[in-house]
Amino acid sequence: MKATRVGIVGIGQSEFKPRRDDANYPELVREAVTLALQDAKRDLADMEAVVYSLAPDALLGIGNAERLGVDAVGARNKRFMRINTGGSTGLSSVAVGHAHVAAGACDLVLVAGGDKVGESGDSQTILNKIWDPTYERQLPLGTITMLAMSAVRAMHKYGMTEEDMARVTVKNRAHAALNPKAHLRKKVTIEDVFASRYIAWPIKLLDACPQSSGGCAMVLASERYIKENKLEAVWITGVAHCSESYFIGDRMGNNYVADHADAHALRESFERTYRMAGIKDPAKEVHVAELYAPFSNTEFHAIEAAGLAGMGKSMAMLREGAFHIGARTAVNPSGGTLCTNAIAVSAMARVAEGALQVWGRAGGHQQPGARVAACSGNGGDHQFFGTAVVEA
Amino acid sequence: MPQNSTSTSPPAVAVVGSAIHAPRHARQRSLEEAIFAVGQSALLDAGLVIDDIDGIVVGANDQLDGRAISIMMASGSVGGVGRDILSTPSAAEHAFVLGALRVSTGQFRTQLVVAWSPLEVSSITEALRLGTDPYFHRALPLDELSAHGLQATAVEHAVPGIRAAALGIVAKNRAQGAIAYPDRAAAPREQEWIESGRPLRWPLTDTMVTAPGYGLVALVLADAAFVAERRLGPPAWIQGVGWATEAGFLGDRKLATVPALAEAARQAYRQAGVSDPVSSFDLAEVSDATPYQELLAYEGLGLCAREEWRKAQQDGRFAVGGALPVNPSGGALSFNPVYCTGLMRIAEAANQVRGRAGHHQAKNVRRVLAHAASGFAMQYNTVVVMGRERTEVRS
Repeated sequence: MKATRVGIVGIGQSEFKPRRDDANYPELVREAVTLALQDAKRDLADMEAVVYSLAPDALLGIGNAERLGVDAVGARNKRFMRINTGGSTGLSSVAVGHAHVAAGACDLVLVAGGDKVGESGDSQTILNKIWDPTYERQLPLGTITMLAMSAVRAMHKYGMTEEDMARVTVKNRAHAALNPKAHLRKKVTIEDVFASRYIAWPIKLLDACPQSSGGCAMVLASERYIKENKLEAVWITGVAHCSESYFIGDRMGNNYVADHADAHALRESFERTYRMAGIKDPAKEVHVAELYAPFSNTEFHAIEAAGLAGMGKSMAMLREGAFHIGARTAVNPSGGTLCTNAIAVSAMARVAEGALQVWGRAGGHQQPGARVAACSGNGGDHQFFGTAVVEA
Repeated sequence: MPQNSTSTSPPAVAVVGSAIHAPRHARQRSLEEAIFAVGQSALLDAGLVIDDIDGIVVGANDQLDGRAISIMMASGSVGGVGRDILSTPSAAEHAFVLGALRVSTGQFRTQLVVAWSPLEVSSITEALRLGTDPYFHRALPLDELSAHGLQATAVEHAVPGIRAAALGIVAKNRAQGAIAYPDRAAAPREQEWIESGRPLRWPLTDTMVTAPGYGLVALVLADAAFVAERRLGPPAWIQGVGWATEAGFLGDRKLATVPALAEAARQAYRQAGVSDPVSSFDLAEVSDATPYQELLAYEGLGLCAREEWRKAQQDGRFAVGGALPVNPSGGALSFNPVYCTGLMRIAEAANQVRGRAGHHQAKNVRRVLAHAASGFAMQYNTVVVMGRERTEVRS
C-alpha cells in the first residue's frame, strides 16, 4: 500500500528564553501556532486535526495540561490528541501528524506545543521521578547524571576526552550565535568550557543544555492539498521510532543488554527511517543533521547512530573540522538542544530546523546547498528515539 | 448525513484480538506485571506473538500512575524494547485512534494498543484536581467527578424531570453488568435503592456512579493483508473513526450539550457510510461515567433526541432485548477504571463483532457502535463503527 506523501508547509518557533513572564503556557503555544499559520498562509479554521506535543505534565505543574492548550491551538470540535514520549515527544508528534495525513484521514494537520522548563523550579528534581520508585529513583538519578555515566563509558570505550566534549559546545554555541531563535547565543572557547563548574563529572555547566521556555508548531499537508493549493513545501520522506529498555542498570555491568556509551536504538530508528527514505549512505547523502543532544558528549553517539561517522570515530572527525556549517554534513547548525531545550518541543524544533535548512530558509545558520536533513529526538532515560528525514 | 467520499475511504484495519482485565487481588502483582499480562492475553486472543507486532501505542496517564513519563515503566511490559512505541496521555481511546491511523498508513501491518487505570495513587480526586487550571479552577475544588456533577445539573435544568430516566439507566446498566460480569457485579441494582443514595457531587449520588476500579485493556490491530495471510478471525473491521474535543475551560462550554460528540459521530458515520444511525447498529457501547452521559450519548450519536429520552428509557429500546441494546457489558456504571473506561467500550464493542463477548454476547452481531469519552464532563469524544465486513454494503 502506497502511503500519501506528507509535506511541511508551515513552521513557527517562538524565541526561546530562560523565562517568558510575558506569556502564560497556552499563550506561548499560541505564539508558535500563529507563526506557523502565517508561514503556511493558512487560518486556524483550515486545520483539520491537531497533534499536541507535551512531555511530562510535572514540568508545568498541571496534570494533562494539553486540556488547557485545546483553545490555544484552536482544536475545539476538532480531532485532537496529545503525544508524550519524554524528550522525543516533539519528533513523535510530527510522526503522529505524518500518520494522520499518510493514513488519508486529513489533508492539513497542525502539530504544536510549548514548554516553560525555565519556570519549572528545578527540572532535574522533576525528571528524577521518571525512574522506578523502588529501584532507581533514590540513586539519585537525573538526566545529567544518567548521561554523565554514558560519557564515562565513552571515555573508556573510545577514548573520548573532556576536550572533545568541549569542542561540541564550542561548535554548537558558534552555530547558535547565528540563530536568532536560540536560547544560549554567546560564543565560548574550550577554555571557557573547562573553566565552568562540574555538574556531574565529566559534564560541566557549559557541556549542558539550558532550561528554556518557548513554543514550536508545524503545519503538515498531503501532497494532493499542496499541489491543489500551489503551496511551497518540503517533504517528510522517512519517519520511525525505536526504544531501549527502561532500567539504567540494564545498560551497564557484566550482563548489560545495551552499551550505555552508544545509542543502539537510535541507530535502529535511523536505519528504519533511511530505508523508508531510500537513503543508502547517509554520510554521503545527508547534508544537515539536527540531532537531539542535550549534553555535549551525547552528540557523538548521535552522529554515529545517524550513520555520519563510524563507531567511536566522530571525536576525531570533529577535531579535524567536520560537522561545522560548511562541512560535508553540518550537525546542529541551529545550535541544537545543547543551546535551547524547551523539552516538550525540543525534538520538534529538530525537524523544524532540518526543514528550514532543506528549504533554504535557515538564514544566518544556513548550510549551503542542503537538500537532505536527518533529525532525531531522544526521550525517557535515553529510552525512546524518534527519527525523521526531511527533503527539499 | 454526507455520503462517503474518496478522501475518507474506510481504512482496511481490523481488531483481531483483545483482553480486558480487572485484577481483584491487585497487590499480588506489580503494575508492570499486570500490563504484561493484559498485553499477552490480547496477543493470545489474536493467535499472535509479540514478534508479530510492528508498533505499539499505549494510553498512559502520569497523574494516575504516579510517575513522570509513565510510558517508560510500561514499555518493557508491552514489548516496547526495539519497537516503535508511542503514548497518548490525553485519552486511552486516542491510543486506539492512533493505532488504527498507523496501520492505515501502510507503514505498519500490526499495532498493539494498551491502556490501564490503577488505584495506586493515594487520592484519585487530588490527582485529577491537578488537571485543572491552577489560577481559576483548582481552588474550587474541581475534579472530574465534580465536573460530571455540573454537567448533570445542566442536563437536569435543560430537560426538567429527566432524573427518573437517569436513575433508570443506572438500573439498566447494572442489571446488564450483573449478567456480563457476575463476579464483579455492581450494586445497588434496584431502582428504589439507587434512588436513595447519598449526595456525592450533586445531583450525583453515591449510588448513581461507580467508585473507580482497577482495570487494564489491550487490543491488537492488523491490516487486511495480514488478516488474510495469517487467517485471523473473526476480525472486527474498523469502518469509521471520529474524534473531537471540547474546550478546556468548563466556563466556555454549554454543559448540557456535547457538540464535539456530534462532530466525532459525523466523522465516523461519514467514513462508515452510515446515514441512519438508529437502524444501522446491532448494539452500542457508550461512555457512561454518569447516567446523564449515556443520555447525552444517545443524542450526540443521533440515536434519540432529548425530547425522546424519557420515552426511550421507559420503552426499553436501549436495554438488552430492545431495538438497540446500549452497554450490554454494564458500562462504566458497573465498572469504571477511570482512565481506560473509554477504550474498554471500544474493546467490548469489538468483542461483540468477533463473537468473543462472553456472557453478554449478542446474537448475529454485524455492526456495532462504540463511543468513548474522557476528561472533565466529556471533554474528549471518540466514536468508532466496527463490523463483520470491511465496508458495509449499503442498501
